[in-house]
Amino acid sequence: MFPSNQARTPTTRIVSQSVVPRDITEKFTQAASRLRTGQLVKDEYFTLFEAVAALEIMDSKMDSGYLGSEEDGRSLEDDYDVLRDLSPEEVLGIMDELLCHEMAWHMGHPLSQTLFTSLYLDKLLWPVPKNFEDTQFGRGRIDGGKAGPKMVDTVLRAYCLGLVKCCDFVHARVTAEFFYEEEDFSTQLYNRSLLSHFDSDLFCDLLHRAISWIDDQTTIETNVRSAIKARLEFRLGFLLGLQQDINVIQTRSVDNFEACLSLLATLEESSQRVQPVPEAFSWKIQRNLASTVPPRPMVTISLQDALAHLRRLFQDGIHLAQILDYRGPYNFRVAMWTILSRKPQPSVYIRSLLQTIIMKEGIVLGTTPVKQFLYDELAALVLPSSILLEASIDETEVPSDPRFQIAQLMDGFVRRISQPFIDTFRSACLNRCRIRRTVCHTIADWDNLQMEAEDLDEQLRILSDEPPLELSNGDTTYAYPLSSWTYHEKLIQFRLILQLGFELSIYAPEELAGMYWYLSHICSTHLGHIDRIRTFIVSAAQRSRPSIAKHALLRKSFVLFDRLTTQIVAIDAFAISIHALYVLLSRHKFLPTAFSPQAYSNDKFRYELRMKPFLNITLPEIVPYDEYHREATLQGDSDETVMERATKAIGEARKAWEATLANGPFLEDSNGEKPNAPALEEDWNRDVKDTMRACIGASIAIESVKKAIIARRTTPPGGSPSLNLKVNIPEPGEKGRWHDWWAVPQVLQVQAKAGT
Amino acid sequence: MDDNSAVQYLGSLIDQTLRVHASDTRIFVGVFKCTDAARNIILANTFEYRYPTAAAVRDATLTSATENLEEMHNLKLNMTSRFIGLVVVPGQHITRIELEETPQQGRVREAFKAS
Repeated sequence: MFPSNQARTPTTRIVSQSVVPRDITEKFTQAASRLRTGQLVKDEYFTLFEAVAALEIMDSKMDSGYLGSEEDGRSLEDDYDVLRDLSPEEVLGIMDELLCHEMAWHMGHPLSQTLFTSLYLDKLLWPVPKNFEDTQFGRGRIDGGKAGPKMVDTVLRAYCLGLVKCCDFVHARVTAEFFYEEEDFSTQLYNRSLLSHFDSDLFCDLLHRAISWIDDQTTIETNVRSAIKARLEFRLGFLLGLQQDINVIQTRSVDNFEACLSLLATLEESSQRVQPVPEAFSWKIQRNLASTVPPRPMVTISLQDALAHLRRLFQDGIHLAQILDYRGPYNFRVAMWTILSRKPQPSVYIRSLLQTIIMKEGIVLGTTPVKQFLYDELAALVLPSSILLEASIDETEVPSDPRFQIAQLMDGFVRRISQPFIDTFRSACLNRCRIRRTVCHTIADWDNLQMEAEDLDEQLRILSDEPPLELSNGDTTYAYPLSSWTYHEKLIQFRLILQLGFELSIYAPEELAGMYWYLSHICSTHLGHIDRIRTFIVSAAQRSRPSIAKHALLRKSFVLFDRLTTQIVAIDAFAISIHALYVLLSRHKFLPTAFSPQAYSNDKFRYELRMKPFLNITLPEIVPYDEYHREATLQGDSDETVMERATKAIGEARKAWEATLANGPFLEDSNGEKPNAPALEEDWNRDVKDTMRACIGASIAIESVKKAIIARRTTPPGGSPSLNLKVNIPEPGEKGRWHDWWAVPQVLQVQAKAGT
Repeated sequence: MDDNSAVQYLGSLIDQTLRVHASDTRIFVGVFKCTDAARNIILANTFEYRYPTAAAVRDATLTSATENLEEMHNLKLNMTSRFIGLVVVPGQHITRIELEETPQQGRVREAFKAS
């Protein structure tokens, strides 16, 4: 059937027509057989190293063209006619399967194993259509692309194209921002286009037309018809919602996502009526996508999972609108952290969108220039009513004027610090592991920034003629506002690294005591620092006799200080009490250990490892191991003292957390307004309440340990020597772990074994 | 053929274009880079060629149905090809090896043989 010369006419390789092949099989084989084992005949420039990179033919793991015995028919292509007539139930089946694949892609699986397994999409997308009219299922066929059945051509085509455009918007948003390839998302398009060159109105038109067509199809059973219509409407809403994208800052409209959300229930109910068409999807298409990797299995997720993912996407997208009103950096940070700390974490699309919202072209939240944003932060914390921030408002143009020079220096500071400062916000949009890793790196930058700020502070001090403050011991010192603020930021990052460490289960059980001690150490350092800032602000205020307007500003700052203090005290006290509890448990050998006695690691090495991100930091100074060891094991304190410490601290922690809850998440901004974000407020409250639950859990654990220790003391000599306790530390996400940041152990009494 | 001339012969093929037929009927056309005693062959810049599928042949037959029977037997179809780069074809899967040369190269070779 095939003329033999066919085999010698390559389609893409350029060869001169006169080439003739000569069979050398026998001679070659003979010659090769003369070679000794291990002897190679090779191009002198061809290295063994290169040889390793060669794909082995006929190896199922490397050879993408190898058709295993399971692939009957020995064909690379699929024998499926995309123009075949489909029953309405089959159309529903394909739509739902496509939706599942789309969500699997959103979850991070590559297109090759999800959407690009669809033969329908393949037909539309390859070869890349030049005109919108080319996006037909029947194109490229020898019979001239005859029209398919109406159901396929009108309904399924509109749905498929709408879906591709949705993916295009998601792809564009995610790739525009910072994300981790294959960790968060796979952006690989395998040389195809998601039709980004066509205007989205074309897609909407198709969907509108399909909706009105299906309305007229009275022959189709009503339930099925409305199920198809619901899917088309959903697709249209989703497309419009994604098309709005970053414009939500202006429009503040969440109508599309809300409409989609309300349709999800209908999609779920009607999913009973569908008839799956598995033949319409094939993993073999992958061979046409990427030639170097053999096909990998198709990713299948259930429709329930897909809808759950979508529901969260819409919910998060709707709630995102609540953080758009600018009410000061403090409120923004709280709102942003709250939405990003949701479990499960908002999807990569939402996180990318938020990154853009945080800052785009030097504008925060689409309204506030980054300089203003930074000044608001500084004003609230270290410089309420200061000449440093006002200098740039005055239009002094005499270079000798100190105000002019102050303005110059402050502009330099803004230029230097605004990006790192904005990055502390943007990095929160990464996945949780990456947040911690990023902060571990940036903390060193902040240390440098602090030193630079210190230099600047000294220059500014002279320019602004700041009087020194006399301390009780007779020394004098200055405010150093800018470096104070950078130090404050850095201490927040210290805390974050530790707390995310607990959330990500980085620490072994035997390290928990030490780490909670370190957390409390950082908190008390921070409290001392806030006190220092407050002292300088008070003294500056006393000096200058502020006007009423400035008085209001000062009051705002003090409210902020009180709030920060309460919150850090709450964390501090809780950490102290858990630390004490773990010391008791480890003294009596109740803690499960992750390291065997023969392990190479020991306490000192582990401490060094945990302190690694902080080694290069000048302030706060690193705690030497010996001191750490003494403090972390509460050396020299009796069990009673430690117990006392735990009990007292947990009582304090509970009070402080109650006060934190009463304060609420948000502060009044300079206009006396609070953000209107009920959904985020609810999340924030839940988070604090979970922490309080963890506090209660800790009190119970402390009580159990206490009882057991007292019981042992009253046991007559010769009685049971050990405490009858069982300790379990629930992992994050497990029942009994009330809060991710608080690894509170569960302590259970067990009956003494009979006879012991 | 002694050991020396065997190495010499194989060495003369280096950087020539070979067509290696594999046991599953695929043909690999690429620049010969390396071989060993087990006749494993490494080809660079390789294209993979595959015979048309039964479905493709059927489609082609259908579209040319109006032609006369004789032409149907001479139906021409392109092999499908794709670039796969650097590959190693294991010796046990090789069914046939061909050398691509221009008629002129062939004549030179013949002349050498004769002399």
